[in-house]
Amino acid sequence: MTEISATPQPEAQKTRTFGELLTSDLRALPVVIGLVALWIFFASQSDVFLTARNLSNLLVQSTVVGIMALGLMFVLLVKEIDLSVAAVNGVTAVLMAKLIVEFGFSPWLSIPIAILIGALIGSLSARWVTFVGVPSFVVTLGLGLALNGLQLLLLPDTARFGLMGTGVEMIAQTKIAGFSAWLVLAIGLVVYSALVVSGMARRQKAGLNVPVMSGLIFPLVGGAVFGVIVVSILNSHQGIPLVTLVFAILLGVGGYVLKETTFGLHLYAVGNNDEAARRAGIKVANIKMAAFAIAGGIAAMAGVIGASRTLGVGVFSGGGIGGGTLLLESIAAAVIGGVSLFGGRGSIHAALLGALVIGSVQNGLNLMGVENEIRLIVTGLLLVLAVSIDKLIERFTGQQSF
Amino acid sequence: MRNIKKSFGSVHALQGASIDVHAGEIVALVGDNGAGKSTLVKVMAGVHGWDTGDYEFEGKPVNIKNPSDANALGIQTVYQDLALCNNLDAVQNLFMGRELAGPRIFGRRIRRAECEVRAKEVMTRMRLGNLSLSRPVGAMSGGQRQNIAIARSILWTPKVVILDEPTAALSHSASAQVSSLIRTLADEGLGVVVVSHDIHHFVVEATDRIEVMRLGANVASFKSQDVTGEQVVNAMVGGNEDVNLAG
Repeated sequence: MTEISATPQPEAQKTRTFGELLTSDLRALPVVIGLVALWIFFASQSDVFLTARNLSNLLVQSTVVGIMALGLMFVLLVKEIDLSVAAVNGVTAVLMAKLIVEFGFSPWLSIPIAILIGALIGSLSARWVTFVGVPSFVVTLGLGLALNGLQLLLLPDTARFGLMGTGVEMIAQTKIAGFSAWLVLAIGLVVYSALVVSGMARRQKAGLNVPVMSGLIFPLVGGAVFGVIVVSILNSHQGIPLVTLVFAILLGVGGYVLKETTFGLHLYAVGNNDEAARRAGIKVANIKMAAFAIAGGIAAMAGVIGASRTLGVGVFSGGGIGGGTLLLESIAAAVIGGVSLFGGRGSIHAALLGALVIGSVQNGLNLMGVENEIRLIVTGLLLVLAVSIDKLIERFTGQQSF
Repeated sequence: MRNIKKSFGSVHALQGASIDVHAGEIVALVGDNGAGKSTLVKVMAGVHGWDTGDYEFEGKPVNIKNPSDANALGIQTVYQDLALCNNLDAVQNLFMGRELAGPRIFGRRIRRAECEVRAKEVMTRMRLGNLSLSRPVGAMSGGQRQNIAIARSILWTPKVVILDEPTAALSHSASAQVSSLIRTLADEGLGVVVVSHDIHHFVVEATDRIEVMRLGANVASFKSQDVTGEQVVNAMVGGNEDVNLAG
C-alpha cells in the first residue's frame, strides 16, 4: 500500500490582517466613518444640526425607512427582492384607517390586523416565487402595482382618512421621558448583557477560549456607553420617542434572530447556496416564505407608524403610487448599510446605519435650505459610493466580504 | 461486516451494476463519462431509486427512498460541488441543517460552544486541528474546503462515506492531503467509496480496490496494489489489455 504523507498546511489564524477585519468584523467601519463625516459637515454648516432637538427629530425621521429596510433585509438575505413593501406599507395603513374610521374598530385590533395582512401578502408572494418559479422581482413589482390600485379603491371619495383623535396619532407623539427612559435603557441593557454573558459562559464551560476583550468587555461597555449617550441626548429633549423605541426593539430582536438562531443561520445559508441548504435538509421554500412574511409584516408596522406621523392616510401613504421615494430609500438604506443584493450578506445594524445616513442627508440639507432635488441627487450618489467602497475594499484586500 | 450489493435491470443507466464496500476499505469507482458511476453513487446515496436489484446494508436488505434514509443508516455523501455555504464558517457548515440548538421559546438559539467543541473533536480526529473554525469557508483554499466537506460527512459518525471526485479541482499537494485524510477514515473502520477520474495519481495509489464500470455494468475489478494505471484505463475504454494505450 502506498502511504501518502501530507504535511498539514500551516494557517495563520491567531492574528488577522486589517484587510480581513474590514471584510468581516469591521465591515460597518466605512459606513460609520461616512456617517461621522456627514455629521461633521452638517454641524459645520448649521448650528442647529447637533442640538438634542434636531437629533431627536433626525432619529424619528429615519424610523420609517429604517424599519422598512430592516424588514426588507430578510428578503435580501435569501437572495430575493420585494418591490411591494412600500405598497404593502400603504395599503395596510389605509386598511387600518378604514377599519377604525368606517367600521369603528379599536386601534388595538386594527393595527394587528394590518400587520397580519402585511405578513400574509408577503407569504403569498413568496409562495408564488417558490412554487411557480417567477422571479421575485416580477412577482412583487406586479403585486406592488396591484396593491396601489387596491389602496385607491379602499380610500373614500375624499381620498383621505383622518386619524386625529382615534388614538393612532399617539404612536408618533408619545415620548418616554425622565426616569422611565432610563428604566427602558436599563431593561434593554440587562437583556443584552444576559445574552452576551450566557454565550461566553457556555464557551467557558465547554473549555473553549473566551475572548475577554472582543467577546465580553467591548460589547458590554460599548453597548452601555452607546445607550447612555443616546438616552441622555433624547432625554434632554422630551425623551425617547415611542417609534424610536419600537425601532430599537425590532433591531434587538432582529439581531438576535439573525445572529443567534437556527432560522437566522438558515437565511444566510439559503442566500448563499440554496442547493447546499436544500441538501442539508433546510426547507428552502419555508425559509423564503418566512423572510417575505417578515418583510410584509414589518412594512405594515412601518405603515402604521407613517400613518400616525402624518395624522392620516391617503394616496400618499406608502410613498404614493409606485412606492415613490419610500421604496427606493428603503432598498438604498439596506444596501448602504451593507446588505448585499446578491444574498447571504449583511448584519442587523445595516438597517440603522443606512437609515441614519439617508435621514441625515435629508435633515442636514433641509437645515442648510437646500432644495429637495439636491437631496435626491446626494442620496443616489451616496448609494453608489457606499457599494463602490465595499467593492474597492474587496479588491485591495483580496478578500471577499461575507 | 458491512456489505452493500446492488444490481439493476434498468435499461438506461445501469444494466446490472454492483458494488460492495467493507469496513476499513477504500473502493474506487472508475469509468468513462456515461459509464453509470454517478448514477450508481446517487442510488447508493438515496438521490435516485432503483428498478430491480438488491440493496443490502450490514447484511440486511434495506429500502432507501431519499437521502435522509441513507443518512439515517449511516451513509454520507460528499458531492463534487461540496455543497458548502461560502459565507458561513466551518462550524456553521459542519452543522448546517442539524444545528445543536436550544428550546423553541428562545427561537432555537444555536449552542455555538457545543457545536464548536464537536467540530474541534472531528477536526482533530481528521488531523486537521489547525484549520480555522471561524473564518468563512469562501476565504479558504480548495483543499481546505474539500476537507471541511469530508469532515461534515463524518460528523454524525457514519459507516460508509461516498466521495464524488474529491480531487478533481485540487492541486497535487492538496489532493495528496485529501488522500491521506481518506486513508485516515478507512483506518477508523469506515467504508469509503470514491468516484474519480484521476487514475494514475489518485486511484491506483490511494485506494484498496478498483471497480471499473462501462455502459452501466461492472467490467473489471482490481486490487489497487496489483495493477497499473494503464491496465485500469484499458478496462475503462474497453480496450484489450494487450493494447498499450499509454504508449
